Amino acid sequence: MVSENKKLSKSSIKKFLIAIAILVAIGIAAVWYIFTETFTDTAIEKAAFTVTAHLFIKEFETDLVKSNKKYTEQIITVNGRIDAIENADTTVNIKMADSTTGSYAIFAFQQKDMAKVKQLKEGDSVSIKGSCSGGAYSDILQMHFINFKRCAVN
Amino acid sequence: MKKTILLMAVAISSVAVFAQKKTTTSGTIAFDATTAIDALPKAENKTVIAAIDTKSGTVLFEALVKSFSFGNPMMQEHFNSPKWFDSDKDPKASFSGTITNLKEVNFKKDGIYKATVDGDLTLKGITNKVSTVATIEVKGKSVITTADFTVKLVDYKIGDAKGKLAGEPKITVSAVLN
Repeated sequence: MVSENKKLSKSSIKKFLIAIAILVAIGIAAVWYIFTETFTDTAIEKAAFTVTAHLFIKEFETDLVKSNKKYTEQIITVNGRIDAIENADTTVNIKMADSTTGSYAIFAFQQKDMAKVKQLKEGDSVSIKGSCSGGAYSDILQMHFINFKRCAVN
Repeated sequence: MKKTILLMAVAISSVAVFAQKKTTTSGTIAFDATTAIDALPKAENKTVIAAIDTKSGTVLFEALVKSFSFGNPMMQEHFNSPKWFDSDKDPKASFSGTITNLKEVNFKKDGIYKATVDGDLTLKGITNKVSTVATIEVKGKSVITTADFTVKLVDYKIGDAKGKLAGEPKITVSAVLN
């Protein structure tokens, strides 16, 4: 009887230790995943909105608060004409602007799309998908601006 | 005749004012708060608005906090959270300063100059004095600026990571102004 109890106890301890080991392994895997996770390639992300640059900029000019609530941190496809290509450190940004107010949307690209971006020219019609960082009124330039990060050329 | 002279004077002064103000909408700010135990808090913002008035020496920067792009999604979320930069409440970071040794920087002559810039840095709605030495390269009509400095996060009530990230992250600013 005593021997059977000992066996049962040993088996329970073994099961308990295995369960703990599994939980620790899951925990380590979860932490490793969170700390090594990177953003998904924007090119394969689904856009929450597809807009034309001119109307998109107008929307921010008309109601900044409402537009920021709607678009910030969303993946958006913006179609429009390139008004400027600007050097940003070792990369380039693309800018689409409202010719009457000067307000603009500007796109910073993910590194893997840089070769494609460098082939574009001012005046080209282009479709860009990116993560909208929101818009604001520039006290320096006295106009509205909308920023995008991690963009891809469609 | 008087009207024509007045109009010409206005036109000439407008050109002069325009020529002395150099701007960009693609300035870069790199934020590096990495430590030996955490390599994640590192980001870049490549859509920074910057301006230099070459006559008065005024230097201005303006950046959306949400435009800082991290490699790791969790770190980007922390950066924007209320304990860190609280970008929903204070979406913009800004700097307003002046070049204090303006006489030593000749914006009309190509060359590389050292400029001392003093000003106010506003992060999370809190403004503190900052002073740094910037490198200014005059190249034709372009002005290329770079500057490194550190900020004490505690001065801006940023972060609560108990020593996991650098308490004084390195900020590197660069811009090509035209």
